[in-house]
Parts: sequence; C-alpha cells; structure tokens
Amino acid sequence: MPWDVIIFYLIAAVCITSAVGVVVANNPVHAGVFLVICFLNIAATFVMMGAEFLAVVQVIVYTGAILVLVLFVLMLVDPDDLPEFHTARPVQRVVGLLLGAILLLEVGAAILSRTVTGARGDATAQNIAAAGGNTQALGRVLYSDYLLAFEVVSLVLLVGVIGAIVLALPERLGEQISITRRGTISLGHPRGTDAALPAGPAGETPMVDRETPSPTPEPTTAGGRTLIMVTDPDERTTVGTRP
Amino acid sequence: MPADMPLWLNFVVAFVIMNVLLVGMAYMTWFERKVMAAMQDRMGPTRTGPAGLLQPIADGIKLLGKEDLIPAAADKLVFFFAPLIIFVTAIVSVAVIPFGGTVEIFGADVNLFITDLNVGALYVLAFGSIGVYGIILGAYASANRFSLLGGLRAAAQVVSYEIILGLALVGVFMLSGSLSLREIMLTQQTELDLGPLALPNWFILSQPLAFVIYMIAAVAETNRAPFDLPEAETELVSGFHTEYSAFRFSFYFLGEYINMIVISLFAATLFLGGTDGPGSDAYWGLGILWLLLKTVAFLFFYVWLRTTLPRFRYDQLMGIAWKVLLPLVLLNIVVTAFIRLVGNGQVF
Repeated sequence: MPWDVIIFYLIAAVCITSAVGVVVANNPVHAGVFLVICFLNIAATFVMMGAEFLAVVQVIVYTGAILVLVLFVLMLVDPDDLPEFHTARPVQRVVGLLLGAILLLEVGAAILSRTVTGARGDATAQNIAAAGGNTQALGRVLYSDYLLAFEVVSLVLLVGVIGAIVLALPERLGEQISITRRGTISLGHPRGTDAALPAGPAGETPMVDRETPSPTPEPTTAGGRTLIMVTDPDERTTVGTRP
Repeated sequence: MPADMPLWLNFVVAFVIMNVLLVGMAYMTWFERKVMAAMQDRMGPTRTGPAGLLQPIADGIKLLGKEDLIPAAADKLVFFFAPLIIFVTAIVSVAVIPFGGTVEIFGADVNLFITDLNVGALYVLAFGSIGVYGIILGAYASANRFSLLGGLRAAAQVVSYEIILGLALVGVFMLSGSLSLREIMLTQQTELDLGPLALPNWFILSQPLAFVIYMIAAVAETNRAPFDLPEAETELVSGFHTEYSAFRFSFYFLGEYINMIVISLFAATLFLGGTDGPGSDAYWGLGILWLLLKTVAFLFFYVWLRTTLPRFRYDQLMGIAWKVLLPLVLLNIVVTAFIRLVGNGQVF
C-alpha cells in the first residue's frame, strides 16, 4: 500500500473515532475537545487532497474561532447540573439517528453517482495550475460563477451579526446611553434594574430601604434546625430596648 | 525556485531552525530582563555568568527541579496535554518562515526554509489560533476560578484579535498577489519607484496602517502587556497558569516566548522585506543576519511596551478591537483594493 493511503486511513480512523467521542463523552468539554480533534483531521484530509487553502480556512474558522466560542460556553456549565445524556430523551435520540442516516445516504449517493458517471468536474490539476494555484482558482470561481450565492450568504451573516448585537444590548438603548454618560462600567446590567434591590433616588445607586420594615420571612427548617432569615442584624436579638 | 532537497536534509534544516528557536527563546528571557532592568534603572541578572548570560540555563534547571503539582480536582488528562498544545503550535509555526533562498552548502543545494507552503501566511495564523486551546483547556482543567476567568478572557481576546490580525494582512496579500511567505518576501526585494528616491519595496511603506494594526493585534494575540488580561496578576493571581508549576508551567512560558519570536519573524517577513538588506543578495548569511536584526527590533518593541504601558481594562480591550481597529482595517482593505484597481487601469 502506498504511504499516502496508509496516512489517509490513519487520519480517517482518528477523525471517526473522535466524532464518536463527541457523542459518547459525558463531560461536555471533553466532547468539545473531541470535536476539535475531528475538525483538525478533516483539515488534514483537505491537505492530502491538495486543497491547502480549504484546510487552513477550516482550521482558522472552525477550529480557531467557532469551537473556541463553543468551549467558552461549555466551560461555564457545571457538569453536575447536566441532565442524564444517555438515558432519557427518546425523541432526540430517534431524530438524531434519523438525521444521521439521511446524511450518510446523501454522502453515499454523492460518492456512488460520481463513481458511476465518472464525472469529475473541470477542477483537474492542470486547470488549477493554469489558474495560478488552488487559492486563486477557488477565488475566481467564488467571485465570478457563484457571486450571487456568495453575496446572499454574506447578507445572511450580516443579519446574524446585527441580530446578535440587538440581543446583547440592554432592553432599552437609551438606558445604556444614560449609564455611559454617568461614567459607570456596567455591562448591560443597569443599576436599579435588579429586582432584588429597590431603585435609588435618581436611579444611580441601589439603596436598601431601612425605614419601611421589610416583611419578616417565615422561619424555615432545614435538617432539623430552624433557620431564620433576617434582613437586619438587630431584628431577632434581645439586647437593648427595641420597640 | 526551491531546490529539491532529499528528505533527510530537510529534517536537518528543520532541526537546526527549531533548535536555534529554542535557544533564541531562552535568550529572549535574558534580553527582556536586561532591557526591562535598564529601563527601570536596575541591573537585571548579574550573578549567573558574565552579565548574567547563564541566567536562562539556571532558570531552566530550577523549573525542572521543582515539584510538579496537580490539583486534586483537576481534569488530569486535559491538564497534562494543555501546555503541550501551546508549545507545539508555537514551534510548528516557524516551518514556513523563509530565512533566505536556495544556497549551496558543502556542494549540496539547501533551502533556507523548512517548507514553502502556498498558503504559508494563513498557516501561521491557523496555528496561532489553535494555540489558544492550550490556554483555555489548561484554564478549564485546573478547576480554579481564577484560571477559568483567565481562560475565558483569553478565548474572547484571541478570537477578536485574530480577525484584526488576519484582515491587516489582506492588504499585503493584495499587493503581493500571493499567500506564500517566500513569494511575499521576494516581492519586497524590488525597488519602489518614486522618481529620484530609491526605496526598498517593503510593505511597511505601502501599508503603514496595516503594519500598525498588525503590531497592536500581534501583541494582543500573544497575550503580552498591555494586553495580558488572561494572566493579569493584580486580579487573577496569574490567570490561566495559576495551578501550573515546574516543567508544565515552563511549557506555557516557552510557548509564549516562542510565539513572540515567531510573530516577530512573521512581521519582519511580511512588512520589513524579510532577509532584504544591504549585501543580502551576495551573502546569504548577511540576509539571515538582517532578518534576525529586524526580529530583535520587534522583540525590543514588545519589551518596551511592557515596561511603558499599564494594562488595559477588559472592556477597553474589546472596544478597541471591534470599534476602532476593525473599521480601520476594513478601510485599509477598501483603499488598497481601489488603488490596486486604478493601478491596473480597471477603474477610470
């Protein structure tokens, strides 16, 4: 067997193993790391097919940016709070299997139709070399034959970006601006909007209102001992004379 | 054209370059300490060897001799692999940096670069972006809140500044018409035609804005002061590597400094003509010397920044990236593209 075939099978084996790992892993961060390994191996197969540009873009966009953000979120998840992955949720398991099977069929159909018809498109080694290399050939095709699709995709992405900004803004833009003018460094959580704290006189400082007595909470029992929730240290003490 | 080298010769070149890089990293720490000491009116290391020249070796021995602590709650496997990621990705990036053309050494044609990838510049960016996994996974695996905060900062910071870094280079790619670092370097070894003035065609002259933005983004990408938020010791103990000790810590240390050297080599190749300089056409050794001198200038700039500027606040860091640098770098691309089209006679 030639060396490149052996290396291809090695890469493919690692790729599929890590893809299985993504689904099987209990710890979400481990699943994310498996996905990173899987994507890196996909980039490696791109390199083996002579598509260096695609490989590098795969690494920069998926591995270097998107998965970093995915891990960013996963790291904040407490593993103890997760639902049981492998026991419940029958609907999701069935749908997942179904979608996987459909995808497998699609890929199989694509490979089969190509083997049967033998059509290989015009992206031969000679044509790519004539265009000045892989990157140039891809760029030409993308910006001439598929220009409309390219622009539509960028428009969709732009809408996505604007949507993300709108979601990240506080509820009222004017509120944010007035906070900026007062010189606080609040990050989308304007003072006085916290339900737990009453608003201050001008909205700038949360003040705990000590004049009107807060409703005394009912004593609760935890583990056999009585817990008393108080808001004022003098509330339940008997020292001194308190009306 | 690069010569066809036998595989073993390629390995020899790679071996030499990577070992020189490791020694360079060790002496980068000495250089940083000496320069910082001079700027702060101190002496720096003096006891170990003449002018403290053996200090990096003493540091290395000390780090290897320390106890290797692993927190009880740590994710052991991830904790073990994370420092290796940042170290390996940093050192692998140097493979595409050209140290010259093809020269004859002892009768054999030797390429003074490990490989000439046709997407070399993007390759460096790609490995830079994988390197951040070393930080965030190490931070996660430490099971420490300070580490986790540092890791989260690193993730957001590197993703933001990577975009700036990549877009800053687009102008260079447009002018050179290639993504191969060797071809970008060769494009710069011509003369800029400005009438009586004979200037080298270095991209720092035709892309000054891109150069400035690249330098800012490069400092942020390597997590160096004033953008060293992931390891801000005043707030986060020491950020993502709080729980690391002994040789595991030294991998982070190695990775950070090698990253700095690679980014500086990369900047010297992209903007300062690489090996271009007086006499570099005749003697290839002189070309390497020029490249190293330019790199040292960039490294000095790093140290200079560290001693001069206070650390940014986190929201300022993000604000600069998205609200100042991104519009500027997009403007640079549009203007460069327009000038290129006018120059080709495709507009007007």
